[in-house]
Amino acid sequence: MNRILLIAVLAVAYVGVPVVFGGNAYVLGLIVAALTIAGVAVAWALLGNLGGMVSFGHAAFFGVGSYTSAVLAMKLGVPVFAAMLLGGVGAAISSIAMLPALRLRGPYFALAILAYAHIFQILATEMTPVTGGAGGLLSIPRFPTVLGFDFGDKTGGYLIVLTIVVLAALAYDAIRRSTWGLALKAMHDTEVATRVVGVPSTHLKAAMLVLSAFITGVVGAFNAHFISFLDPDYAFSSGWTVLPIAAAIFGGYRTVWGPVVGALAIYLVDQLLFKPILPHGHQMILGVLLCAMILFSPGGLMPALRRRPAKENRHAHA
Amino acid sequence: MLTLEGVQVNFGGVQALKSASFSIAEGESIGLVGPNGAGKTTLFNVISGVVRPTAGRLDFRGTSLLKLPEWKRARLGIGRSFQIPRPFGHCTVRENLLVAQRFGAGKKDPRRVDEILDILNLRDKADRDATTELALTEHKALEVGKALATEPSLLLLDEVLAGLETSGKRAFMERLAAVRDRYRLAMVIIEHDIATIAALCPRVLVLNFGQIIADGSPDAVFRDPEVIRSYTGETTLAEAS
Amino acid sequence: MFELTLQALFSGLLAGGYYATVAVGLALVFGTMRVINLAHGELVLLAAYVAYAAESNYGVSPVLAIPVALVIVAAASALVYALLSRIDQDREINSLILTFGLGIILTNTILSIWAADIRSTSDPWFQDSMVVADTLFAMNAEVAAFVGGLVLMAGVWWWLNHSWQGRAVRALSSNRAAATLMGVNPRKIEILSFMIAALLATFAGFAIYTGKTVFPALGHVLTVKAFIITVLAGMGSIPGVLIGAVMIGVIESLTVTYLSASLQELAGMILFLVVLFVSPSGLFGGGRALAR
Repeated sequence: MNRILLIAVLAVAYVGVPVVFGGNAYVLGLIVAALTIAGVAVAWALLGNLGGMVSFGHAAFFGVGSYTSAVLAMKLGVPVFAAMLLGGVGAAISSIAMLPALRLRGPYFALAILAYAHIFQILATEMTPVTGGAGGLLSIPRFPTVLGFDFGDKTGGYLIVLTIVVLAALAYDAIRRSTWGLALKAMHDTEVATRVVGVPSTHLKAAMLVLSAFITGVVGAFNAHFISFLDPDYAFSSGWTVLPIAAAIFGGYRTVWGPVVGALAIYLVDQLLFKPILPHGHQMILGVLLCAMILFSPGGLMPALRRRPAKENRHAHA
Repeated sequence: MLTLEGVQVNFGGVQALKSASFSIAEGESIGLVGPNGAGKTTLFNVISGVVRPTAGRLDFRGTSLLKLPEWKRARLGIGRSFQIPRPFGHCTVRENLLVAQRFGAGKKDPRRVDEILDILNLRDKADRDATTELALTEHKALEVGKALATEPSLLLLDEVLAGLETSGKRAFMERLAAVRDRYRLAMVIIEHDIATIAALCPRVLVLNFGQIIADGSPDAVFRDPEVIRSYTGETTLAEAS
Repeated sequence: MFELTLQALFSGLLAGGYYATVAVGLALVFGTMRVINLAHGELVLLAAYVAYAAESNYGVSPVLAIPVALVIVAAASALVYALLSRIDQDREINSLILTFGLGIILTNTILSIWAADIRSTSDPWFQDSMVVADTLFAMNAEVAAFVGGLVLMAGVWWWLNHSWQGRAVRALSSNRAAATLMGVNPRKIEILSFMIAALLATFAGFAIYTGKTVFPALGHVLTVKAFIITVLAGMGSIPGVLIGAVMIGVIESLTVTYLSASLQELAGMILFLVVLFVSPSGLFGGGRALAR
């Protein structure tokens, strides 16, 4: 996306949307939920595209981030904004336990992460004194009023999650364009060749995993304070893995803004169109979407929509 | 500069290197020859860190390399090209060099990339995709270029001439000599073409079945009956020099 | 205490039988196509729900519905195969995501037709328990499933080792290029392994429906468990898969007996991670879990 378009979109997002939808809690709630998915989708795409590792367990980071932040705010009185960032840190730390999984090949890594997600979920259910057990945590502190603006209501929440998503996307983009990004791209096919020119490949992959976990953790933490409720089944629900993957694939996980666009499109269409039709099993459409994308346009919708000369198309990778 | 002592490499039941011991001085050019399967590439793999030896010492300017991963060795100044070129995918030629330079040993002078492009005659292909738009000679040149971009003090070149026809070989040879002279590097070159080796390297090591069987000037080495036997199975003089 | 342990071991052994039947199908497809069919568990589930539909809509004993289920599952498997073979780039990752998506479609289709309630057979014979060796209890269904599963797996194992197609499957798994040069038609063999997997999946579906309970989310659980078992076994050997499955079954059983029912899945997961990191080629070798 070029600069002008980006600034225009951001202006609409930061100013236009609150002005137009500010009074409509339902619509804002949907948009916030869609952006939450978008945040995880960007983090997932970062790991998949730059790190070269597809994960089926991002719900793990989401859940750990949510719980870390909620517990810090509730039991230790940490201010909510700080707790949210610490939620991300918590998720990042939990990803360190997953570093050994980096040497595994695609499917094995994807499912090893899934195993971690299950383990964290069970831990959250069992550590009742800390996490409230299966019943979960209620009345998690909402976002406070800062400089006269109440961030605890829907509009405030919207602005926070919007900022998180934008920052995440910008970070993803910055890495992608740098020599680190080039090295990461090169590592996919020829890791040894990159190592002999001095690229610390394992460290770079680890950095991508930790970063992806951090972003997802922050988004999870945001969500906990926004809806003020948490339980293990919700926090670690597979929806936090499946929806972002569908969003990223649909929007194009090799692009930066694709996952965001994909999340908005998929979530809103799913909630507004399919859920009323098929109250049970509407997520089936996600499955159809995933399959269709893989079969017809593995790069996602955004690269398919762009009309670019052949030379640039090659650089549409990563 | 580089010292190997008693280096041994076992792969399962096969002993690829039996007990290699030799030293390389700063700025020296050494040819490494031997029949296929003698262990030449394994030796390179040991020095660059792709393979861990099962025994032996390996020191570079006083530091033991044994515990260092490949990328740390690259940053110390050991550069290496692969026999089968492995360009960085979805990147241009220039980007390939930039990545190598960014992570390599050197001072990151932006002009160095252009210098390398010129020396290796890759200037007009600088912005082409390295995996899909290069001819064989250019692939080989890029392999050397990537290793060079890291600003090594020791350059390991694995059969860079393989697959090129005679005139292409000569041109490439001249470029290699220019590289060596320009950057004052130590080089170890694996090559089958005896003429090239004799012209480029004042010292030749011969490897056979994982052992060094000769170490000296090209003249001496290629008349050594042991060496001749390793290539031809006989002790009569070959048309080697 | 001793009797409790013995019973736990016995139940775990029987559970292992179920898991093994599911896992062998997954391993077979992975062996020939190098693809992990993440929809495999859903195929098992499909068979189970066909059994349920037969029983609840037509009052028919589940056993009689097996042929119908077989046809349905085989057709679904053929569809999965057809879609998989259309993938031409980034095969490993794209087929993972494709089968992941297919699994979601199947699970949600089942969810929308039959709702999320837990189902099991109402045929009393299956629920009756029997006593083995004077002290050990098991449901008739469990023992029938175990024995049936063993027979089926023994058959597959024999077929893999002694029939021409079976050997072709093994050849394709170990060295695709060489096998095709020797006249093995990869497409036919791939479809064949999908069909055998469908057979095993159908049996497993019925076994689980009669001996345990089914619900839409079970598909995913089964796939993950089958994958874990194949990692334990190293994806190379059927006896290995059986042993791996029994290990998981026993660990789960012991955890439920001595610790807590909610920790049942945890035990398997932890075992999975431990084996993956300590011995990535699996306990019995033949695996290829590590990156280049």
